[in-house]
Amino acid sequence: MSTHLTTIAHQLIELAQKAGASHADALSILDSGDSIQVRHGKLESIEHEDSRGIGLRAFVETTKGLAFASASSSDVSEQGLKDLAQQVIHMARISEPDPDAMPPEGADHPSSIEIAAWQQKHPHQPHGWNTVQAQEAALRCEEAALHYSDKISNSEGANASFGQTAMAYAASDGFTAEYERASSSLSISVIAGEGEGMQRDYAYSRSRSAEKLRDANEIGKEAAERTLRMLGASGLDSRNCNVMFEPRVATSLLGHLASAINGRSILQKHSFLSDALNQTIFPNFIQISDDPDHVDGMGNRLFDGEGTRCKARNIIEDGKLTTFLTDRYAAKRLGMTPTGHARRGLTGDTGIGSSNLILHAGDLTPDAMLHEMKHGILVTELMGFGVNGVTGDYSRGAAGFLIENGIITRPIQGFTIAGNLHQMFANITHIGSDLTWFGSTAVPSIAMANMTLAGQ
Amino acid sequence: MLHTLIPADADDADLYLQRSSSESLSLEEGRVKHVSASTAQGIGARVILGDVSGHAYTDRFETDALIEAAQAARAIAQSGQRTQPIAIQPLHASHDLYVAKNPMQQVDMVQRKALLEEIDRLARSLDPRVKQVFASISASFSQIHIIRMDGAHLSDDRPLVRLNVSVVVEGDGQRESGGAGGGGRFDLTQMITNNDAETLTREAVRLALLNLEAKSAPAGSMPVVLGSGWPGILLHEAVGHGLEGDFNRKGSSVFAGKMGQRVAAQGVTVVDDGTIAHRRGSLNFDDEGTPTQHNVLIEDGILVGYMQDRQNARLMGVAPTGNGRRESYADPIQPRMTNTFMLAGQSTPEDILASLDDGIYAVNFGGGQVDITSGKFVFTTSEAYYVKNGEIQYPVKNATLMGLGHEALQKISMIGNDLALDPGVGTCGKGGQSVPVGVGMPTIRIDALTVGGTEA
Repeated sequence: MSTHLTTIAHQLIELAQKAGASHADALSILDSGDSIQVRHGKLESIEHEDSRGIGLRAFVETTKGLAFASASSSDVSEQGLKDLAQQVIHMARISEPDPDAMPPEGADHPSSIEIAAWQQKHPHQPHGWNTVQAQEAALRCEEAALHYSDKISNSEGANASFGQTAMAYAASDGFTAEYERASSSLSISVIAGEGEGMQRDYAYSRSRSAEKLRDANEIGKEAAERTLRMLGASGLDSRNCNVMFEPRVATSLLGHLASAINGRSILQKHSFLSDALNQTIFPNFIQISDDPDHVDGMGNRLFDGEGTRCKARNIIEDGKLTTFLTDRYAAKRLGMTPTGHARRGLTGDTGIGSSNLILHAGDLTPDAMLHEMKHGILVTELMGFGVNGVTGDYSRGAAGFLIENGIITRPIQGFTIAGNLHQMFANITHIGSDLTWFGSTAVPSIAMANMTLAGQ
Repeated sequence: MLHTLIPADADDADLYLQRSSSESLSLEEGRVKHVSASTAQGIGARVILGDVSGHAYTDRFETDALIEAAQAARAIAQSGQRTQPIAIQPLHASHDLYVAKNPMQQVDMVQRKALLEEIDRLARSLDPRVKQVFASISASFSQIHIIRMDGAHLSDDRPLVRLNVSVVVEGDGQRESGGAGGGGRFDLTQMITNNDAETLTREAVRLALLNLEAKSAPAGSMPVVLGSGWPGILLHEAVGHGLEGDFNRKGSSVFAGKMGQRVAAQGVTVVDDGTIAHRRGSLNFDDEGTPTQHNVLIEDGILVGYMQDRQNARLMGVAPTGNGRRESYADPIQPRMTNTFMLAGQSTPEDILASLDDGIYAVNFGGGQVDITSGKFVFTTSEAYYVKNGEIQYPVKNATLMGLGHEALQKISMIGNDLALDPGVGTCGKGGQSVPVGVGMPTIRIDALTVGGTEA
């Protein structure tokens, strides 16, 4: 099957070259999977996916440099491939050339020996589920949540999904690679309380293979516990205070960092960290790394979206920003060596993204962190999009718990927390020992001083 | 053949055939160097039995693929096939809200590129502090056919265009950004005739420069005046999602069971109307073939209607309202909004602003989010001012506004006579699906919302 995908990718490149491309690269993808939703102990829906996609990016030479365009389609017929190649070349001739354009040529590709070694180390694991097993897991998960307490009043249902993606990438410089990846997930969302006092929360687990998912009962219990603990949440007065982010919401802080050090944003001065390379932006006990080969991560990769070899690197070393994340284009413009962070979709230019992003754990348990913090709030939920990447200004809706004398005293909601990411990063006081993985991001609890809380 | 694929006891079943194409051009650093396109085609097959649904899709327009998809969709049913053939009715005419022409064929790529270059020149000529200009133009055309178990056969051609401008400005060592966008279900020639590019460019530059002067927003609960037009996103988040049929059938919305009760202040009438010509959220009929309607949701403060697809309407014993939507053939139907807005009141916008002793005048917003169970909603200002004694004092930085949907609407004390719909930029996300929507509102005063600034 996947050999066929590679053939399609090669055909696309050949057709693009025939139509006038100087360089091209192509993707061919096959996705399949099922999603089973159960609610109140019975099947609610089955969704079955079976789709294909092809994407082509082609460069043409002009007197002012290389210009390129890209397009995607699901039509893999002979005529479909021809049409796609013609369309891309037509668009590339309209596109404006860029003297710095980086066609797929001269990238630091892994060798075929390295590719073989990688495949041996990371064999394709099937997701290991069929619809019956998935439905059974979802039912068990929901039952565990509903039976946890009488106060669990309703269910939004449990979902079990599994599927696999096969992908081939080929470039006109001869680099070719293909891989298959399975995925599975189990999630549940329940409601506690009645009427205007209702609360809702969820829990989930994601993995390549279903057998590595957390136990269905455990996920159900977690959703119930998370929901119950918010019952009776009330508001609180505005104040400046310490804020601790539990791992689930702390991931977003790492996401803001990753966006701010995205080489393309740096080029456009579209980041509050544009001028921060080699500067100390966190306290000296903060270490953040990007590791494309981590046993617990879902973002493992040997090469990036341009076929550039990936390697583990520190991003924040003793609080200092040591690198931006780049694809070959951003690296060229910034005068850096590409860091292997190109990301490709079926269509569009390359983007930039981390592999497995890890904020290294500290020594304190979450309880010890609350004790150290003494007064403030623990944030367990964030809402909205109030983060300005250009200035770092931050203002988001939140919910969580009030911390008094080092312990949780009551659930709180209906407030916002605000600050500036520059200061928030610098104001981190403690990092927890509770490192938790969320797909391709791993973070412990993070505590920081002096955020503005707006409440009643 | 269709009937043999449908279980004998099915309540509903349909096929959704779609062919869609889109093109996008974007400019940065003065050059239109990103040109991309995508085409997709496929068939979604769906079977419904009571509250259980099966959905499967394929991207191959071939008999064997269709049979496979239909069999996957009917996997929810135990019963045998229908024996009664389906009498497909002739194509059914509906509203005629947009011109069924491919917007990409009306204004070719070279003209679209020239338009973006004109935006770049204009933006830079408006103020020397403009350092970066990003502009993009996208157009799509979706052709669909719906064939239902009851024999209904409908087809629709849906154009959609969108123009976006954003700029980064630099002054006194500080960087800020501003953006504006517009679009709808019409031809690109209309945007050119209306000079939309110039209007949006001037607006983006004005907002970015305004942000350079913005001071920190206050923090805490205070009266807020919301401007007309896009601030209608308040309704979308605060009540719209909570009035979607699925959440109310399942009892997970804070508005569940409140039909006929007061949920908003007197004078507040909120409608969802998918029948307004050329609007981004409009459809001749929804994705199940139900003609769109002018649906009153809240009338003079009383909850009078939910938004329904066919399945939820059947289960709740009401008529479908033309709100069954899907992102594409690959996604299941959900009850979704179209264009959601509040009808005009009596006050002049000037009087409403003059009533504000000490609060925020929020003229425009970015995105928002809601938790339909607790009613918590947030949205983030993109243009807002601090107001004292009815007079605008200074612009304030982007801040998240937060409230509870069922409380905020009760606190509306003044409604303007200046109803305006948004410029055509809304995209709504639900359950992983994005669909274009519209919002609208007159200027209103809410006596208390939480403003998430940093000045406590």
